[in-house]
Amino acid sequence: MEVVGLHAVDIVIIGVYMLGTLLLGWWCTRYVGNAEDFFVAGKALPFWAIGFSIVVSDIGAVDFVAVAGAAFKNGVAAANFDWMGSMPAMVIAAFLFVPYFWRSGVFTIPEFLGRRYNSAVQFINGMIWVIFLFLMLAVMQWMTADKLMHTVLGWDPYFALWITAGITGFYTFTGGLTAVVFTDVVQLVVMYVGGFGLLALSLWEVGGWTSLQEQILAKGPEFQDHFKLLLPHDTTGPFPWTGIVFGLGLVLAVAYMSGNQVIVQRTLGARTEWDAKGGMLFGGFLKSMIPLMVALPGLCALVLVKDLPMEEADSAVPEMIRMLLPPGLRGLMFAALFAALMSSISGTLNSTATMFLTDIVGQFRKWTGRGPLNEKTGLRVGRILTAALIITTALLAEPIGNRTQLYVYIQTLLSFFQGPVLAVLLLGIVWPRATGYGGLAGLVLGVCMSFILNFTPGLFPSEDPFLFVAWWSFVFALVVVVVVSLLTKREPPEKIRGLVWSSVVSDLEAQEALEERVSS
Amino acid sequence: MASTAEVSETLERGLTEAAPLVQNTPTVIEQIQSAFHDVFAPVFHPMNSVLAGLPNWVMQVFGVGMFVMAMVWVVVFLNKDYVNHGRPYKSIWTDLRLWTCLSMLPHVAVYLYFR
Repeated sequence: MEVVGLHAVDIVIIGVYMLGTLLLGWWCTRYVGNAEDFFVAGKALPFWAIGFSIVVSDIGAVDFVAVAGAAFKNGVAAANFDWMGSMPAMVIAAFLFVPYFWRSGVFTIPEFLGRRYNSAVQFINGMIWVIFLFLMLAVMQWMTADKLMHTVLGWDPYFALWITAGITGFYTFTGGLTAVVFTDVVQLVVMYVGGFGLLALSLWEVGGWTSLQEQILAKGPEFQDHFKLLLPHDTTGPFPWTGIVFGLGLVLAVAYMSGNQVIVQRTLGARTEWDAKGGMLFGGFLKSMIPLMVALPGLCALVLVKDLPMEEADSAVPEMIRMLLPPGLRGLMFAALFAALMSSISGTLNSTATMFLTDIVGQFRKWTGRGPLNEKTGLRVGRILTAALIITTALLAEPIGNRTQLYVYIQTLLSFFQGPVLAVLLLGIVWPRATGYGGLAGLVLGVCMSFILNFTPGLFPSEDPFLFVAWWSFVFALVVVVVVSLLTKREPPEKIRGLVWSSVVSDLEAQEALEERVSS
Repeated sequence: MASTAEVSETLERGLTEAAPLVQNTPTVIEQIQSAFHDVFAPVFHPMNSVLAGLPNWVMQVFGVGMFVMAMVWVVVFLNKDYVNHGRPYKSIWTDLRLWTCLSMLPHVAVYLYFR
């Protein structure tokens, strides 16, 4: 791939953006005095900041390239992940899970599972997430440094890696979640300006929307589905409608929006419950515009980058940047890519440190008979963990990032957990009769079912049936939890008091008991 | 006693004759996959046939229905006070039921357009 050249003005724009982010993050340090300020922004975040932060934490620099590539190859169906895969799940999260987590005063999702079931479940769940997020941090840093900054810009990958790690590490270390969220607000604005700038120029170049449709549909029979969001069940591609509606819309998206610490942590920092719910809805609204700036340029590339082979679809956006963007806008677009990268790193970093401290260090101290850390020590340990994580992941970024098979394997493994974990989480919240044995059996057998369905070929028409696997493992785990719970002894009411949705939402006495439990 | 050359020849002949048999023998993993396939195929294959035969409007109904049902759940079934608990002041603009509808309607339009 030919390197995209940057002019002096582009370098200045990228430099000003990075310096501004660094200063804003440092300025937020004044709001951090204890562990609660560091991990949940002192519970003072307004809805708009939560909404901005949720979106920008979710979209990484690689998404700009990969989603455009998927749209180039499969058409607008690639946008389902930001439409069907977001808004319905965010509404469910806003009104079912978020008020529950917010009122119960937990810092992390494994912490809830620990309270509802037992501390071993909390520790195991926390470990799985911390390992996954650690690997993701390393891969995110290396893939962007190597595949984007080195391949596209010709920068030294180690320079790109350490500059992003240094800046994001510094402001996350000093300002905690407050710095992460407020830099996210600026980063989303930069992302929108860069992304919509590229979209506007692309559409101008192809002659408008109608012309784009005509030119793509005229390319041949294999492009006839490029403007359809829902494709038939028997399509061999990765996005059949049944998988999109049931596997993505009802399982994977809900599990992601309600069970992913990086997303949920922002709502836990809300100043009121209304801000937590409103932030989720506002985030969903903002997120609905993401496909316009990441997927549609991929479609425009089908017309504008004529000789780009399908197997090099991920080069669509870099090619468009090289062809269309003048100096200045090119710098802004790369500032947008840096914004997407840095926001994802800082959000993941802060959440990993939170889970490590709450679910691993906290449980370890509990088992060894030591009490919880006080607020000042919690803040110091949180900062040490943040620094240690960014330095370790940056050092290990190349060896981990180069083993893409390891990352794919772990990501696939985690996807096997999504359906069963959602089933256990959902029934644990809404059904008081769910027991510890039921939850454990649902989790273990549900994951086994995921393995069996994924590795038995020929059961589903799609070549990559992960959406079907998610749906059926969720249904299976639901059935197992219900059956095993009904066959085992009911949990004592005092154990689940204040931990089931109905009591948290409507029973004032239970809420008082919950407040006592949280404050103790 | 057989010479080394004879042993070698016998071994070679044996291996040559056994090769097709070994190649055609399924591995343990393939046998397990085949067993699970036999169990689950009668469940999923008829379902696949029914779903593949559904007319296009059915997938549109399900697709758009996801957004409509989410709106109906919030606006009709959830308690108004629960939905807006903790809002700073009472105004139509702070009513999260309105926010839900405003966030959902563009999605409905998009799914109706790209069909």
